[in-house]
Amino acid sequence: MPGSGGEPMIAVIVARIVQMLFVMLGISVVVFLIFFATPGADPSARIAGRNATQETLAAVRKDFGLDRPMPVQYVLLMKRLFVTGDLTSFANRGQRVIPQIMDAAPITLALVLGAAVLWVVGALVLGVVAAASRDTLLDRGLMGLALIGVSMPVFWFGEVMNLLSQSRMHDTIFFSWVPSLGYKPLSDGFAPWFKTLVIPWFTLAVLYIGFYARVLRANLVETYHEDFIRTARAKGLGPLRIMLRHALRPSLIPFVTMFGLDFGALVGGAALLTEVVFGLNGIGRLTYVALQSLDLPVILATVIYASFFVVAANALVDIAYAALDPRVRSGR
Amino acid sequence: MSGGALSEALAHPETSAADGDLGASLAGSPAGPWRRAFRRLRRDRAALGAGIVLLVILVASLAAPLYASLVSRTDPFRSNLSGKIMIDGKRTPIMQPSTEGRGLGVTPIGPTWRGSYFLGADAQGRDVAARLLHGGRNSLLIAGSATAICLILAAIIGTTAGFLGGGVDMVLSRILDVLWAFPVYLLAISLSIVLISKPIIIGPITIGSGSLILPIVIIGLVYAPYVARPVRGQVLALRNSEFVLASIGLGMPTWRILMRDILPNVSTTLIVYIPLMMALNITTESALSFLSVGVQPPDASWGTIILDGQGLLYTRPAVSLAPGVAIVITVLALNLLGDSVRDALDPRAGLRR
Amino acid sequence: MKNFSAGIVLATLFTGTALAPAAADDRAALMSQHRGGAIRAVAKAAGGTMDPQINYTLQYWQLYQAIYDGLLAFKKGQGTEGFKVVADLAEEVPAPQDDGKTYVFKLRKGIKFSNGDPVTVKDVVASFQRIFKISGPTAGTFYNGIVGADACIKTPASCTLDGGVVGDEAASTITFHLTQADPEFMDKLAVPHASILPAATPPKDMGTDSIPGTGAYMIKSYNPNERIDIMRNPHFKEWSADAQPDAFADEISYEFGLTEEAAITAIQNGQADWMFDPPPADRLGEIGTKNADQVHVNPLTAVWYAPLNVNLPPFNDVRARQALNYAIDRDALVGIFGGAQLAAPVCQILPPGFPGHVDSCIYTVDPGATWSAPDLDKAKKLVAESGTKGQEVTIVTEDAEVSKNVGTYIQSVLNDLGYKASVKPISSNIQFTYIQNTNNKVQISISQWYQDYPEASDFLNVLLSCDSFHPGSDASINISGMCDKDLDARMKTVLRQAVTDPGGANAEWAKIDQAYMEKAPWAPLFTPKHVDFVSKRLGNFTFSNQFYWLPALSWVK
Repeated sequence: MPGSGGEPMIAVIVARIVQMLFVMLGISVVVFLIFFATPGADPSARIAGRNATQETLAAVRKDFGLDRPMPVQYVLLMKRLFVTGDLTSFANRGQRVIPQIMDAAPITLALVLGAAVLWVVGALVLGVVAAASRDTLLDRGLMGLALIGVSMPVFWFGEVMNLLSQSRMHDTIFFSWVPSLGYKPLSDGFAPWFKTLVIPWFTLAVLYIGFYARVLRANLVETYHEDFIRTARAKGLGPLRIMLRHALRPSLIPFVTMFGLDFGALVGGAALLTEVVFGLNGIGRLTYVALQSLDLPVILATVIYASFFVVAANALVDIAYAALDPRVRSGR
Repeated sequence: MSGGALSEALAHPETSAADGDLGASLAGSPAGPWRRAFRRLRRDRAALGAGIVLLVILVASLAAPLYASLVSRTDPFRSNLSGKIMIDGKRTPIMQPSTEGRGLGVTPIGPTWRGSYFLGADAQGRDVAARLLHGGRNSLLIAGSATAICLILAAIIGTTAGFLGGGVDMVLSRILDVLWAFPVYLLAISLSIVLISKPIIIGPITIGSGSLILPIVIIGLVYAPYVARPVRGQVLALRNSEFVLASIGLGMPTWRILMRDILPNVSTTLIVYIPLMMALNITTESALSFLSVGVQPPDASWGTIILDGQGLLYTRPAVSLAPGVAIVITVLALNLLGDSVRDALDPRAGLRR
Repeated sequence: MKNFSAGIVLATLFTGTALAPAAADDRAALMSQHRGGAIRAVAKAAGGTMDPQINYTLQYWQLYQAIYDGLLAFKKGQGTEGFKVVADLAEEVPAPQDDGKTYVFKLRKGIKFSNGDPVTVKDVVASFQRIFKISGPTAGTFYNGIVGADACIKTPASCTLDGGVVGDEAASTITFHLTQADPEFMDKLAVPHASILPAATPPKDMGTDSIPGTGAYMIKSYNPNERIDIMRNPHFKEWSADAQPDAFADEISYEFGLTEEAAITAIQNGQADWMFDPPPADRLGEIGTKNADQVHVNPLTAVWYAPLNVNLPPFNDVRARQALNYAIDRDALVGIFGGAQLAAPVCQILPPGFPGHVDSCIYTVDPGATWSAPDLDKAKKLVAESGTKGQEVTIVTEDAEVSKNVGTYIQSVLNDLGYKASVKPISSNIQFTYIQNTNNKVQISISQWYQDYPEASDFLNVLLSCDSFHPGSDASINISGMCDKDLDARMKTVLRQAVTDPGGANAEWAKIDQAYMEKAPWAPLFTPKHVDFVSKRLGNFTFSNQFYWLPALSWVK
C-alpha cells in the first residue's frame, strides 16, 4: 500500500488483484462443494415437473449436464458464466443469469447508497455530539437510542415500518406520502423513486447508525487522551474544534474499516431481508430466492459478485488508512 | 493510554481529590492497577445498577423451569391449542376463533398480566413469558459464547496481522476476506438438510442439527473479521506510535510489548464491542434458527420467539416485542457495565471528571 | 353404441356455443360496460417455466386457461361447473368408439394463434408429439395410453405417435387410438399439458420465452424475477364462452416480489387487485371484518396430510400409524389453518365432494361418519402394544408458516405419545422432492395434494399404488411407500370397471379408501378452503373448482 517504501504502486495493485481473484475463486469452489454435498440439491426432479417418470428425469439430468463428473460441471459452469456469458438458471429454465444480476444491481445500489449516506452522517453526528457531551444525560440518551437500534432485527423492524406506514397509519399525515411497495426506477421520475426508498433507507440504516455511533464515540473519547490532543488543548484551541479537526481523523480508522466491510457486503447482496420485506428486487432478493430453490448457477453468480465487492471494498479501505492516520502503514 | 500513568497523574493533582485511591497510591500504599480498578468500579453506581440488572436477567433465565411450573403452570414446550384457562372466573379458550365479520382466523389470547400467560400465548398456545425466560438461557449462552469466540479470534488475528505485517498480514487479511464473503446462508441451508438424517461426528463430538455448537461456531467465525479488521487497524497505528517504537528500540521482547502496550489498548476496544456483538449475535442466531440450524422447535431463544412473533405481528405484537425489549435491556446493561469497566481500567479516568 | 358416455363421469356433450339467448345478451351488455383496464395481480415468486406442456404448478395453470386451448377444456364456470369438460378447439366432445379405444375430433375452423397463423391439424398432431419430445412430466403418466407412446417414451427425439394420433387434413379431423379404454382421457385432454401449440414450436423447454396460444390473452413478456406482462390476444375471436370466454380486462400485470403481508396491505390500499398466495394467518381476522366483501372463500378438493413411511421404524408398525391417527386433534389443526370457516377435519384419502368419497372416520373417539375428537387413551395403548415408544421421530415440513405450525403441533402430539420428536423445516421449493426420495429416510412429513382432475384415481391410484413408488428417486409420489399387492390389484380392477360402470366404480373406490385407511399409510389432517382476497374494484369474481379464479371473467372498470 502507498508509502510503505520501496515498492512501486503498480506491483502492489497487481499483487492485490491477484489475491482478490484467488479469494473469489476459492469461494466459488466452496459454493460448488457445499451445493453438491447437500442431499436433495439435484434439481432434475424440480425442473422436470411434479411426478415425472424416471426416463424424464434422466433426460433432464443429461440436458443440464448433471450426469457429468463434478470438476467437469464446475469448469462448464464457470466457462458459461465468464467466457460465453450464457449461464442459465436451474429454477427458471432459459433465463440467463447475467442479465438478472445486471437488472437487480442498480436497485441494491440505490438502497445501499442511500442508507450508507444516512448512517454515515447520522453516526458522525451522533458520535461527535455524544463524545463532546460525554457522561451527561444527552450522551447517555443518545447511546441508549443507538443501542436500541442495534438490538432490533432488521426483518422485524422492516415489517413494523410496513405495518405503520402502509397499513395502520397509512392515512395519517405521517405516512400518507408513502407510495406502494416495490421499486420504482429513477427513469420514471425522481419523486416516486425517492419516496419509495425513504423508509427502506431508514430501516437499513438504523442498525448501523447505532453501531457506528457507539464505536465512534468510544474512539473519540480515547483519542482525546492522546498526547497530541493535550498539546492542542494546551495551545488553547476550543473543544469542538479539537474534536473535529484533530481527534476525529484517527478515530475514524475503525469507522472506515467497518464501513468497508459493511458496504462491500451490502452492495453484494447482504441486505436480503430488507429487500424481501420492502419488495425491492435487488441482488439480495435474487440471492434469497436462489437459495430457497437451491438454484446453483444463480447462487454461484451472486456469491462471486458479492465476494468481488467485499475484497474490493477492503482493498480501498487499506488505501484510505494512509489518508486518515499517518502512523498506519499497512501490508508491506 | 498506558505508559507513564503515574507521571500524568502527578501533572494534574487537582483532579485527584475525589480519587482517594490515587492519593493512597501516591502515599505509598501498594494498590495495584487491578485492585484500584475494582475499587473504582465498586463505587460507580451506574455499574452497580447494570450489574444487578444483568444478574437478575441471568437468574431469571436460569430459574425458567421454576417459573414455568410454579407461576405460569404450563409446559412451555408443549402445544396447547385446545387448552382453556380461567380469567375472571370464566373458562376462556387460549386460541380464539374470530367471531366478527366473516369469522376468519384464530387468534391466541393476549397478555393476561396474571401468573398464567402473563404476556399471552403464541401460535401454538404456549405461554410467551415462560418461553421468554427459557429463551434467555439459549440466547445468552449462544450469543455469549459466539461473542467470546469472535472477540478472542479477532484479538489474536488482528493483533498478529497488525503487529507482524508483511506476508503474515497479507495471508491473514485474505483469510478474513474469505470469512466475510463466505456464503453463510448457503452453508446453513445445506447443513440443515444434511443434518436431518445424519449428525456430523468429529472425534468424540457428535453434532446433530439441534446442537448449539453449530450456531456458536458459525456466528463466532462469521463476525470475527468485523472486529479483527478494526483491531488490526488499531494495532497498525500503535505499532508506529512513539512508545512502542521506543520499546522496540530498547530491545524489549515482542511478547512483553504485546502484553504491556498493545493488548491493554486492544482490550478496551474489545470491551466496547461486547454489547454490540451480543445484540448482533442474538439476531443472527434467529436467522440461523429460521434455517433450522441451532435452536430447534419446540426449544426457544429470544431470536426464535421474535420469529414466531412475526406471524402474529398484526394481531399480537407483544410476542415479538417482549424478546426485543429483553435484548435491549441486556445490551444496555452490558454497555453500561462495559463503559464502567473501561473507565475503571483507564488510569487516566480521574482526569476526565 | 355401448354407453361409454356414462363412463366419462363429468364430461358432457356440451358444445358450448348453445348459450341461452338471454345470457348472451347479458354478456354483451356487461362486456360493453366493463371492457378495458388492467388487472394488477401480485405473487411472492414466479412459478417456473412458462412452457404449458411442462409447467405443473397451480399458479400457472390458472393463467394458461386464458392463454392456451386444447381440443377440450374445463368449462369456465362457477364452482362445480368448472369440472365439466366442454369442447374447445374441437367442435364437440366426441363419443368414444371401438370399445372406448378410439376418439375422433373435428377441428374448429377459423381459429388463429396469437402470431396470426391459423390452427391446423398439423399443429394438433405436432403438439401431442411434443409432449413426448420434451419429456413432459405427464408424458408417462397421463398420455402413455396412446398407441405409440411407449416408443416415444423410450426415444423421445424421434417421436411420431404413429397410429396413435392420426390427423386428416382434408376432413379436418384428428383421431386418437388408445391401447385400452380410459374413462379419464377426456379430462387428460383438457389439462394445459395437452394445449395445442404451433407445430413450429421447438421441441425443448421454452423457459421464459412464451409460445403463441389461441386464448383470449397472450404473454407479452416474462421475467421470473419481476413480472409477467399479459395482454389481449389481437387475433382472438370468441367461439365458445364456456371454453374460452372473451376477457374483460385488456391487460394483466402479474408482479413478483411482494410478501404475503405486503400483498394484503397493497390490496387494502387499492394498489393491487388480487394476490396468488394465501393470506397470512394474522391478517385473516382483519380482512374478514374490515374487508369482508372482498374476501371469497371457496371449497377445494384437496387434502393436507402427513405421509407415514411404512418402511422405516416406528411407522413400519401399523399400530404406531393408527396411534398417531387417533391422537391428532384435527380441530386444533383447523385452527392453525385459520379456523372452521377455512378448513374441515378429514380422516380419509379422498376429500369431501370428490367422486368416490363416502364419509367415514375410523380414528376418532366414536368412529362413524365424521371426526369428533381425538382418542388419546386408545392411541397410547396402541403405542405401548407396538413397542415403539421412546423412538426418535423427525418430521420434515416446509418452512412456510402453516406447514411449520402443523409440524410443530404434531411434534407435540408425538412427544405426548412417548416418542422423541423433532421438526425440520426446509425450503418449500425443495421439501416436496426431498420427502419423496427414500434415500433421505424421511419418517413423516407434512404435505398437501390438490387434484389434477376430478377422478378418485387421481388420489388413490396416483398416491398409493405400487407403480408410484420408486425407491431412490426424487419422483416417487407414493411418499409413504406403501405397496399392498391386494389393494393394488383392486385398484387396477376398479380402473377397468370405471369404463363401463362409473357409479359402481365410485362405490368400490370408497371401499378401497376405507381399506387403505385401516392400514393408515397417512395421517389425513384437514381439507382446506381457498381464500381469495381481491380489491374493491374487481368485479364478477368467478371461482372454478378446477382452476380457481378465472381472470378473464373478472373486470376492473
